[in-house]
Amino acid sequence: MAIISAQGVEKTFRQPKRQSGLAGAIRSLFSRDYTEVRAVNGISFTIQPGEAVGYLGPNGAGKSTMIKMMTGILVPTAGTLSVLGREPHSNRITNAAEIGVVFGQRSQLWWDLPVRDSFDLNRHIYDIPTPRFAENLTRLTTMLDMGGYIDRPVRQLSLGQRMRAEIAMALLHDPKILFLDEPTIGLDVVAKDVVRKFLAEVNRERGTTIILTTHDLVDIEEICPRLIMVDDGKLLFDGELKHLRSALGSRRRLKLEFGTDPGPITLKTAHLVTDEGAAKHFLLDSEQTSILDVLTELGSGHDLKDVKLEEPDIEEVIRTFYKNKVQAGVAP
Amino acid sequence: MARLHVVIPALVHTFIRSKTEYPGAMVLGWLSQFAAYGSMYTAISLILARFGSLGGWVWPEIALLLSFHLLAYSLGASLSFVQFREMEEKVRIGTMDAILVKPVSTWTYIVFSGLNIGYAGHIVLALGLMAWSLTQVDVTWTGQSSLLFVCYLISAAMIIAAVMTMIGATALVWVKSNHLYQIFFGFWELARYPLNIFPLPLQLLMLTFAPLAFMAYVPVAATLGKPVPLLGDYASAAALLAGPLVTLIAMAHWRWCLRNYQGAGG
Ligand SMILES: Nc1ncnc2c1ncn2[C@@H]1O[C@H](COP(=O)(O)OP(=O)(O)OP(=O)(O)O)[C@@H](O)[C@H]1O
Ligand SMILES: [Mg+2]
Repeated sequence: MAIISAQGVEKTFRQPKRQSGLAGAIRSLFSRDYTEVRAVNGISFTIQPGEAVGYLGPNGAGKSTMIKMMTGILVPTAGTLSVLGREPHSNRITNAAEIGVVFGQRSQLWWDLPVRDSFDLNRHIYDIPTPRFAENLTRLTTMLDMGGYIDRPVRQLSLGQRMRAEIAMALLHDPKILFLDEPTIGLDVVAKDVVRKFLAEVNRERGTTIILTTHDLVDIEEICPRLIMVDDGKLLFDGELKHLRSALGSRRRLKLEFGTDPGPITLKTAHLVTDEGAAKHFLLDSEQTSILDVLTELGSGHDLKDVKLEEPDIEEVIRTFYKNKVQAGVAP
Repeated sequence: MARLHVVIPALVHTFIRSKTEYPGAMVLGWLSQFAAYGSMYTAISLILARFGSLGGWVWPEIALLLSFHLLAYSLGASLSFVQFREMEEKVRIGTMDAILVKPVSTWTYIVFSGLNIGYAGHIVLALGLMAWSLTQVDVTWTGQSSLLFVCYLISAAMIIAAVMTMIGATALVWVKSNHLYQIFFGFWELARYPLNIFPLPLQLLMLTFAPLAFMAYVPVAATLGKPVPLLGDYASAAALLAGPLVTLIAMAHWRWCLRNYQGAGG
């Protein structure tokens, strides 16, 4: 049974059209004139218990909106959404007891109080049995190295310390699913690393399902075997990170250097893009093609000096992709 | 929610701990409220001493009206005013989203994680004035009439909390709602005086869409046996029912706003 399932989910935000001037402001109060923003546009996926899924996409792609719908904060405009077998919005409070939510950009801790006080309040709110609370608190404090500041007021903490506390707080009640909206935003390299290792371990050891949104591919490399990529509210890719490159239509380049110009060469496994005589550049059409395949097809008898395979950097691929904003869905 | 008896004290405890860092400011706040209301009431009593009565109400009766008004307001507002005035801010900076993912009723969480202990000054003043005025007015108290009086007070406090909730909830959909509090306080000021001194359209308004006549005038007039315009003999029943009725409307409005909550982006 899928723990989360989305079928054709849509979310359209409606905002009254702003009109200038006082008269305009009064008119807009009564007018039915709206600007519509389709933040999520027909997204479908299913997530199994124990998965860790990274939700990636440029600014305004609809990531936070999707998280807010899955956690019951927002009501989808269309489509069906099921989390833990229930419709999130109408079962918001029931589901809340079984999920944990971390918003990277806003705090759930009590600003003026020590971290411990916020944790303790959650013990009551989530009705966590005292022995289990004590055990989880010790485990999380140790794993996230929070011992040094758990009794300090939250307002005195660094962003990295606070984020670790936020994540620990979301896990005190052993949620089945942990949603994180940009948990590593603004953290330095070391803090990011701590958070990533911790989340990967929580997913692996405790089987907690993790859904996180991010702009950082390393988050996905280190935490999430599965990647969902969205842009402009639409699903672009759903699969393993290593398959993203070919899904986005970016191919590997192969450069063959010869001692002497062998003349024109045509191959089935790769096709020629630039011919500089002694140096020829090919594009490999398929992820499955290996250099060996190309060399086998090429055969001996050429004065081959050097072979270079250029893997396009995945960040680069995504960057060009965002720039070109190919609209067609290319999900495999 | 079965565990409210645990969650509510825990919320209040946490909130008070977060405030007691500034005890001086709190005591100063109480004193200044006490002084502000005290001097305003003194002014009203002086005016009445000159003119004798206002709309047929003499000073001890007006004092009962003023103290009922203040007590009902403080009780209702401590559960709602500051919490819901901050709703705009909660929506704008996203605190609301965090509250919505907690496994307790959102209204309960908002109310008790911000229970306003700053109304202590109001309550002390209102109770003092009420105790004095009750010894001066011409009412024979029985067990039944005392119980009725307490129920009027609860109903009146419910109106305040319900209206504040409705205004705050509006921020969920419109993002901005604080200007509505100014309208509220306009009617709230009028609600301190006998309704019969106002023109008929205003009387009608304060008994319907802006039902603040029920927060003090109607129940106090019913207690004192004074004629109530438009309601007549139904004044007592209306005073009792107004609170629960407005609360039901507020609950429906609150649910509607939660369903139509859009967040503030980001
Ligand atoms: N409350 C709202 N009212 C109107 N439009 C909104 C609202 N919330 C989000 N949007 C719009 O919906 C779209 C998606 O927003 P969303 O916050 O989901 O993007 P995101 O993928 O989380 O972006 P980012 O990476 O910047 O956090 C944006 O165009 C945004 O302007
Ligand atoms: Mg976002």
